[in-house]
Amino acid sequence: MSPRPQSRIELLQGTLDLLILRTLMTGPTHGHAIAKHIQRTSEELLQVETGSLYPALHRLEAKGWIEASWELSDKGKRARFYRLTRLGRKQLLSEQSKWEAFSRAMGLVLSPGKQEG
Amino acid sequence: MPAFIRKLLWLTQRRRKEAELHEELQFHLEEEAEERRQDGISQEQARWAAARELGNVSLVEEHIRGVWIWTLLEHAVQDLRYALRMMRRNPVFTFLAALLLALGIGANTAIYSFLDALLVRSLPVSDPQSLAVLNWHLPGTKKLEHSTVHGESGYFYQDSRYGTVTPIFPYPAFEVLRQSNGVFSDLFAYYPAGRLTLLLQGQAEVASAEYVSGNYFRGLGLVPATGRLLIDDDDRVGGPAVVVLSYAFAQKRFSNIAAAAGQKVTINNLPFIVIGVAPRDFFGVDPAKAPDFFLPLHADLMFGPRPDDQRYVEQNYYWIEMMGRLRPGVTLAQAQARLAPLFEQWVASTATTDSERKNLPEFLLRNGAGGLNTLRRNYSQPFFILSTMVGLILAIACANIANLLLARATARKRELAVRLSLGAGRGRVVRQLLTESLLLAAVGGAAGVLFAIWGIRALTLLFAGGNDHFTFHAELNWHVLAAAAALTMMTGLLSGLAPALEATHVDVMPVLKETRAGERRSSALRRFGLGRLLMVAQIAISLLLLVAAGLFVSTLSNLRKLEMGFNRENVLLFRLNAAQAGHRNPEAISFFSNLQMRFGSLPGVHSATLADSPLIGDGAWGWPVVPLGTPKPEKAPTGHGSGASATATHILAAGPGFFSTMQIPILLGREFDERDRLGSPPVAIVNEAWLKTNLPDRDPIGQRVVSYAFGGMKPQEMEIIGVARNTRYDNVSGDFPATVYLPFAQNLYPQVEDITFFLRTSGDPLTYANTVREIVHQADARIPVTNISTQALQIDGEMSQEILFARLCTGFAMLALLIACVGLYGTMSYTVTRRTGEIGIRMALGAQRGNVVWMVLREVLIMAAVGLAIGLPTALGTSKFVASFLFGVKPNDASSLLVSVIILVSAALLAGYIPARRASRIDPMIALRHE
Repeated sequence: MSPRPQSRIELLQGTLDLLILRTLMTGPTHGHAIAKHIQRTSEELLQVETGSLYPALHRLEAKGWIEASWELSDKGKRARFYRLTRLGRKQLLSEQSKWEAFSRAMGLVLSPGKQEG
Repeated sequence: MPAFIRKLLWLTQRRRKEAELHEELQFHLEEEAEERRQDGISQEQARWAAARELGNVSLVEEHIRGVWIWTLLEHAVQDLRYALRMMRRNPVFTFLAALLLALGIGANTAIYSFLDALLVRSLPVSDPQSLAVLNWHLPGTKKLEHSTVHGESGYFYQDSRYGTVTPIFPYPAFEVLRQSNGVFSDLFAYYPAGRLTLLLQGQAEVASAEYVSGNYFRGLGLVPATGRLLIDDDDRVGGPAVVVLSYAFAQKRFSNIAAAAGQKVTINNLPFIVIGVAPRDFFGVDPAKAPDFFLPLHADLMFGPRPDDQRYVEQNYYWIEMMGRLRPGVTLAQAQARLAPLFEQWVASTATTDSERKNLPEFLLRNGAGGLNTLRRNYSQPFFILSTMVGLILAIACANIANLLLARATARKRELAVRLSLGAGRGRVVRQLLTESLLLAAVGGAAGVLFAIWGIRALTLLFAGGNDHFTFHAELNWHVLAAAAALTMMTGLLSGLAPALEATHVDVMPVLKETRAGERRSSALRRFGLGRLLMVAQIAISLLLLVAAGLFVSTLSNLRKLEMGFNRENVLLFRLNAAQAGHRNPEAISFFSNLQMRFGSLPGVHSATLADSPLIGDGAWGWPVVPLGTPKPEKAPTGHGSGASATATHILAAGPGFFSTMQIPILLGREFDERDRLGSPPVAIVNEAWLKTNLPDRDPIGQRVVSYAFGGMKPQEMEIIGVARNTRYDNVSGDFPATVYLPFAQNLYPQVEDITFFLRTSGDPLTYANTVREIVHQADARIPVTNISTQALQIDGEMSQEILFARLCTGFAMLALLIACVGLYGTMSYTVTRRTGEIGIRMALGAQRGNVVWMVLREVLIMAAVGLAIGLPTALGTSKFVASFLFGVKPNDASSLLVSVIILVSAALLAGYIPARRASRIDPMIALRHE
């Protein structure tokens, strides 16, 4: 079994969508790779539940933010690849700036002293 | 792939999507397992770990399915909310569009409900499909005058395939056919008893009745609502005096239906017992008439002697109608094959001459599921024409709304361009625009159904034309509602799809950059092309309806201009039946004469007279009357009916003062007066038409003529005392019939029964109705006054279909024209608004106001011209389908076409002039600064 981090962070509601969109920014890929990517880049702090990953992917697809097609994975197997649409890119930008504003605001309130001048 | 189509595909390809989802999750599991195996775990364990990690696969799949359905709903709700918001934001547009659609869908639904009643509905009896109606026919090569029919009571009709068709048979034929018991489980007979006077609980009224054979109700498979129905033993010579009431009649006369059975009732002054009530839905076998009560066939013998007393034995007197219930497993074709030889062999034995043997009736069995086809025969064609018209109205409404939506969508093109540039799929935007038009159609459809309820009522009244025995009732049943729903959907899609596709077909960049005045030429042309096309279609359809209206209006005016031969104004008509209240000749004659005197002396009544038939609206009596010494015509059917045979003379027994009251000029001799009474020498008055065929070149006064009434009566000699101007009798059009008038008081034929009174009044005749009722009530309370009407109304009643067509069609044409003009106005206003800048420049460069007006009107005229170029040939090509409804006007009538074209072009110019004028008032400075 792979080593588990000491504390895992529960994903806040709505953040999974943002993470998926951001992951797809780097190029089309399939569900499993998305989960792994989020896990790796968050230094295993964020654990994506498979049970919520796929409903989220289909929800985003239905909203038209991402689209899917069947392609061959790097191992040569048929996989469902997701890619960002124009609308999704636009959505990602606005969500990301919202999130950054939000996290900055949280930081300001929680640790006032640590603020950069 | 556009979202809308994707959703549709999802619905159709659900199975494939499920498989894909399964595959996707399977791939995930394999990847996960693969990864763990690389971490050094055994394959089996890795798979387990991966599965544990994913959790319950079906649950995940379930979640995802939820996402699919939810977004589908979410989008629909989103679209709907957006559409509602758009509707609220443009209340006038919404109201107008919904009103247009409500009118269109409502009219179509109303007409369709009649077609449904006409063509789809079955008799409300058990297993109607196994019923068969017996008929016979004479193919076009055979002549009715030379057939075995010596006398008849009933009707014939023309059928394109079978020639002359009739359901009436001699009674002996019924006895022969009912012995072929391998075909029918029951063969039953019936014939109309007409209107009888019924006295129930002291209240007299005239009600319609049907004589039916004892097995009638059993053959139809009916269960009584209360009491019992007629059985074989009720129907025999000397049988019990019993009657079965219709449910509607029983309900009208008894608060509690169950109380009806066992009641005593007096019919035509004879005591009867009500034995039961027919089931609620049952109206008889002919949807065209609903008898109030049913009498056993042989009960007709109780009501005293009739001219056709030999009807139960006479082989050449045709009167009884039959229907059979096919045995299980016997098809209509088999029954026809078995019965035809039987009937044809019998009928050959009744032929008396060689010419009759050459013109023998041929047996014809027809499906009886829908009952007798009287209604279908009379109303199918009118309703097909009406449904075409309302279909055209709906088409105009659709085109118009499509145009409005298109204009609006074009106005919203910047918004749409923004949405498209943000990545909204074209399909998603199309779907959203379609949601708007469908919502609009749904509102219109719902209002249309309400409108249809009213429309059905109005149409029923119009079709009844004052006839209270009109039984053709349509209703909103589930198939009509389903048709209305389908129509609504179709309307929504038709009016929304083209504009939606057109509006979303934009190059995003130019539209976003575009300013108000300048536009890219190619897209402008494209968009305007569709709008124009829709306008041209509306103009062409309007022309069709205008032409139809013109034809029907001239038909009606031609009919109204027909010479009647008498003065129709200010005449009150009503009927009394004294015989049914027990009055017998000669007492009945003096009873009527006394009434005539009392009516004549009423203040405001110039004169009163009577006859044994109204002139118009109730057929005519007819039999041969020829000069003494001329041989009796070989074939001259005797009877009362409409469209009597050409060889028979029309006969009217008229009272004193008939000609002066009706203002029919007496050309020679004198009219009937008090001298012509019972016992005085028999006299007659003939009309010009009779004179022309029978005594063309002799002084007619004093000549003797012979009347050959019913077969059983001895020929009657009469002396001609006068010649009257030709008048209408029975038909309101065609040649004036040869008519001989007999003095009513001389009682030259069997029994004075139903008498029509004619009162020449000053002022509105109907104001005298109550006085008349009082006088009759005083004279004999057992006699009800019926058929109160005026001569003018009665003549209108004969043209009710033409009046209906003229009115409805004019209404439809006006509506179409109005819709098209509003559309034209809208289109041109929009054009002017869009071209404000251009017009400003033109004016700044020196264009006169007149030039600007002409510029706009020219566009209107071009559209009108193209519309006419399409509409005129179509009108010429299709108007022949209404030819049979026209009178005195040809389907390609030039003046109707010309008037339609003039009306259309003037209306179009008027609609175009307002925006044109506005364009000419544009201030170049303001228009140019606008940019």
